[in-house]
Amino acid sequence: MALTLSAPPPRWLEDLSSGPVTTKTKQSFPDPLGYQVASRQQKSSSNKTVAHPRKQPTADEMDTLKLKKAWELALAPAKQLPMNAIGMYMTGNSLQIFSIMMVFMLFKGPIQAVLNIQNTFQRLETDTNRQQMLAVKAAFVGCNLLALALGIWKVNGMGLLPTTRSDWLAWESAREPLERAYFVPT
Amino acid sequence: MLSTLLTAASLLLVPTLAVFADEAWNVDYHFALLGAPKEETSFFHQPNPSSRASLIYTLSEQHALGAVNPRDGSLVWRQLLSSDGIAYRNSFLRAGEGQDVVISGVGHEVAAWSAADGRLVWSLSTEGPLEDVEILELSDGKETAGAKDAIALSSGANPTVQRIDGASGAVKWQFIIDGSDAPYQLSASSTQIFAILIHKTILGYVKLRVVVLDRVTGHKVDEYSLSSENELSTTENIVSVGANSASPMIAWTDSLYTTLKVNVVGMKSMQSFDIASHDDSPIEHVKVHAPYHVNSLSHFLVHYQTATSHWADVFHINLKNGKVEKAYSLPKLAGRGAFSTSTSDANVYFTRVTRDEITTVSSASHGVLGRWPLNTFGVVAGIGEQVEPIHAASEVSVKGDTVSAIRTTILLSTGDWVMLRDGKGIWNRPEMLASTMVVTFALPADAAALVQQLEVEAHSNPVAAYAHRVQRHLADLQRLPSIIVSLPQQIVKGFLGTSADDLTASDTFGFRQVIVCATREGRLVALDAGSPDKIVWNVNVADLQPGQSWEPYLASRIAGVVEVSSRAGAGIQYNATNGQPLAERLPVVPEGPQVPSSQVVLYTVHDGTLEASYNRTPAWAFTPMHGERLIDMVPRPVNDPVASIGKVLGDRRVLYKYLDSNIALLVTAQDSMGTANIYVLSTVSGAIIYSNVHTGVDLTIPIASIMSENWFAYSFTNEASDEASKGHQLVVGELFESLVPDDRGMMGATTNFSGMQTATEPFVLTQTYQIPEVISKLAVTRTRQGITSRQLLAVLPDSNGIVGIPYGAVDPRRPVNRDPTKDEQAEGLVRYTAVLEFDPKWFLNHQREIVGVKNVFTSPALIESTSLVFAYGLDIFGTRLSPSFSFDILGKDFNKLQMLATVAALAVATFIVAPLVMRKQVDQRWRFL
Repeated sequence: MALTLSAPPPRWLEDLSSGPVTTKTKQSFPDPLGYQVASRQQKSSSNKTVAHPRKQPTADEMDTLKLKKAWELALAPAKQLPMNAIGMYMTGNSLQIFSIMMVFMLFKGPIQAVLNIQNTFQRLETDTNRQQMLAVKAAFVGCNLLALALGIWKVNGMGLLPTTRSDWLAWESAREPLERAYFVPT
Repeated sequence: MLSTLLTAASLLLVPTLAVFADEAWNVDYHFALLGAPKEETSFFHQPNPSSRASLIYTLSEQHALGAVNPRDGSLVWRQLLSSDGIAYRNSFLRAGEGQDVVISGVGHEVAAWSAADGRLVWSLSTEGPLEDVEILELSDGKETAGAKDAIALSSGANPTVQRIDGASGAVKWQFIIDGSDAPYQLSASSTQIFAILIHKTILGYVKLRVVVLDRVTGHKVDEYSLSSENELSTTENIVSVGANSASPMIAWTDSLYTTLKVNVVGMKSMQSFDIASHDDSPIEHVKVHAPYHVNSLSHFLVHYQTATSHWADVFHINLKNGKVEKAYSLPKLAGRGAFSTSTSDANVYFTRVTRDEITTVSSASHGVLGRWPLNTFGVVAGIGEQVEPIHAASEVSVKGDTVSAIRTTILLSTGDWVMLRDGKGIWNRPEMLASTMVVTFALPADAAALVQQLEVEAHSNPVAAYAHRVQRHLADLQRLPSIIVSLPQQIVKGFLGTSADDLTASDTFGFRQVIVCATREGRLVALDAGSPDKIVWNVNVADLQPGQSWEPYLASRIAGVVEVSSRAGAGIQYNATNGQPLAERLPVVPEGPQVPSSQVVLYTVHDGTLEASYNRTPAWAFTPMHGERLIDMVPRPVNDPVASIGKVLGDRRVLYKYLDSNIALLVTAQDSMGTANIYVLSTVSGAIIYSNVHTGVDLTIPIASIMSENWFAYSFTNEASDEASKGHQLVVGELFESLVPDDRGMMGATTNFSGMQTATEPFVLTQTYQIPEVISKLAVTRTRQGITSRQLLAVLPDSNGIVGIPYGAVDPRRPVNRDPTKDEQAEGLVRYTAVLEFDPKWFLNHQREIVGVKNVFTSPALIESTSLVFAYGLDIFGTRLSPSFSFDILGKDFNKLQMLATVAALAVATFIVAPLVMRKQVDQRWRFL
């Protein structure tokens, strides 16, 4: 027992209490931005006047910023459209597992996005920019609808839309003859 | 959506349709038949004189000549001597002693065939129809050893006796018999040939005139008449004319069978014997059984048959003084009997076959040399029906005083041809099926019950249907114990891959349908399409007297019931499973589904004219033009389900089919002009909706035709002319409501129409294909709902086969003179080529030779993909066809063992991997980064 008492404190305790040892013998490169060594901080704070904290944007500015961000979000699906279109074009109109999966994703994305529209814009919505946000949301829905339209175009290309006469053929029935003729063998 | 999938699927289907190797000998079955053997042309004979092994040779009533292996009943070779189905009055088959050829005579043709392999050695046509053919045995010692000569007697304008060289078939001499007497038969002795002629007296009686010819020169030596007085009224009373010196006699009776008169050929005197009457019933016929081999004793047996019993007398001929004396009698036995003669050296043995025993006696004494009891002939007959022997042929082997072994082939009253060795059945050939006239398929009674239950469920409201189904399943539970008992066996069978064909009680696929054949002899014979090796039942329904014929008509309108009628009208109904006649008569309805709202037009062929009646008043008649005769009339089948009313084009538009249930295809021929006319008729109004004329048609070759769905097909042979060479053509025509896609024609989308009031004409596309050989009969596969694509079945008489042509290969919409567009390719259309070669893969018979097929009958199975096919005529051939492949049933190639092994391996892998994954997941929870 006496042995343990006399033993030095564990290493982790030392590390915790002492903090990183800053051995600045020859510092050739600057510290990364925003990195403040405790000792240096103290030093600089003693040297210079208190650094101004970044100026808080006003509510108006904040609204503008949020609106900007919202527009960005709203138009994001439209930016993906060309890439999607190329992808769809490349997969061809045959019914294969890849093209089917891609078409499924194409439909799933926009529909989910539209359903989650409130969640998406919740953070950016304030009482004051609600009016503008309506337009943003409309644009968002519009962009998603475009993506959906792309999906429908693709599905049509694959021949999965019942748009032709042959798709309804099963519901058409043959004409019933009012008379029946039977052959009677003699 | 669906259409694209279907198009995609159809693309996969088009390339090959074939009989798969694993199905080839399993799903199809074939009886190589000869037809009922005739008594005088069936015998044992050694094909190779040096060996003891013999074959059974027969020339049947269907004029099929064949050799049958007595060991197993298999056919060694076969020749069809009358391919066009003409029934000749006389046919002869002779085999000389120690000869390796058999000589046949049918119609106008004498032919020699190699006995071992059935190859033609020579053939000779006679001017008139043949009356007799005999072989001249070498008994005068002057002829060289080798092929024995044949003599033939032919009638006609110049009755002729010809001696034909046995090796080459050349005529050595011929003698034209003067006078108007009808030639009857030939008999040969060691020095002379006797031609027996029938002379009709003024009083209407018959006298026998004998012309004696020299054997070597063919000159007339003598001529005399037998004073038969007024006893012979018809030739039917002549019992026998012996062929050669083994039986040199002519025997006849009076019309009441009271005396038997025997004349030894060459003598002018005759002897008469009283026929003792053994029972009350009159004698039906008298038969003489005499040995054929020249150097055997001249003993013969006379067989007397009454309706209830039979007996026989044995006579000896003293060749020196021409005296005939009765040696002994064989006692009267009940039932019919059959006698056969066999020889061993000079000894003659008579074998008697009765219902319950076979006995052999020597011709010299009445002591029984061998007796074998018969329990059964081993054939299927109607309940309560006594199977009787009709005639027999035997081969005996004699050791000392007893017969050590006997082989007997017997034609039975059921039509079976059986072989008994020492009284035990060896094999059985169902020769009655060779005379099948009409055929129908019927569901077995138990399967029919299930189908009826399903129909009930389909046509009631969902709740009631559900209740019904639950009730049905509860009822099914009663069978559970028996199923559990048989379960291990079934599982084992399932593992071994034999489950598709095993004989389980339920047949969910509908493969085990009962095929009922009506034969010319007035019998109904049923086969099981699932296990066709044995006859299910065989009943006599018509009870025809000799010489009578019937025109049966078979139908199975109610599942599980077969109805046979000889004329249209009320018939007798039989249970399809066991052949029992049904007690209660069900009302006779016209074939097919009865639509209450529809009015019925009945039409029939009468004197080459098509006549229709509506409400019992004549509605219309189709009379061929002057000089034309009606060859064939094919109505669209009454029960012809069509799944899709239009054809989906590659661009997903629709070409509407002209679907009218009331259309028929007519083929008429004008013999003077050599033209064939094709008409498609509306059978309600009698209007011709399509017609076509082909000139330069060879009308001696059959014109086959078929009509189904919205298309028809026919084949004919055109004669060589300046423009075209002789060739066989197949024409396929398809009827559309309009050739404009997406257009339903004049009537638009109306739901019903009257063929009498509105006249619509279809737009017809036809295409002609040059085919390599004659088609004698066309048929088409039928499936339950008509979803499966069709296959055109063509009977090829020249190559003894049946070919199944996929409809896509003969589609009239194949683009002509250009490559198909992308849309057409999507439909599976390929560029039109005028010559249609029969792909070897299309032959349904693969290695089999199917001879003499007259008709092909098809029936849907219970599963949509499959159609049952049954071809009959002389041979019987049946198979199952899946024109769009078996998409609703696992094939034989499906490896159950592999599937189970995969499942098991996956299960094991899951059990091993599961704890590992669990540990990994737990570890992951505890790791921070």
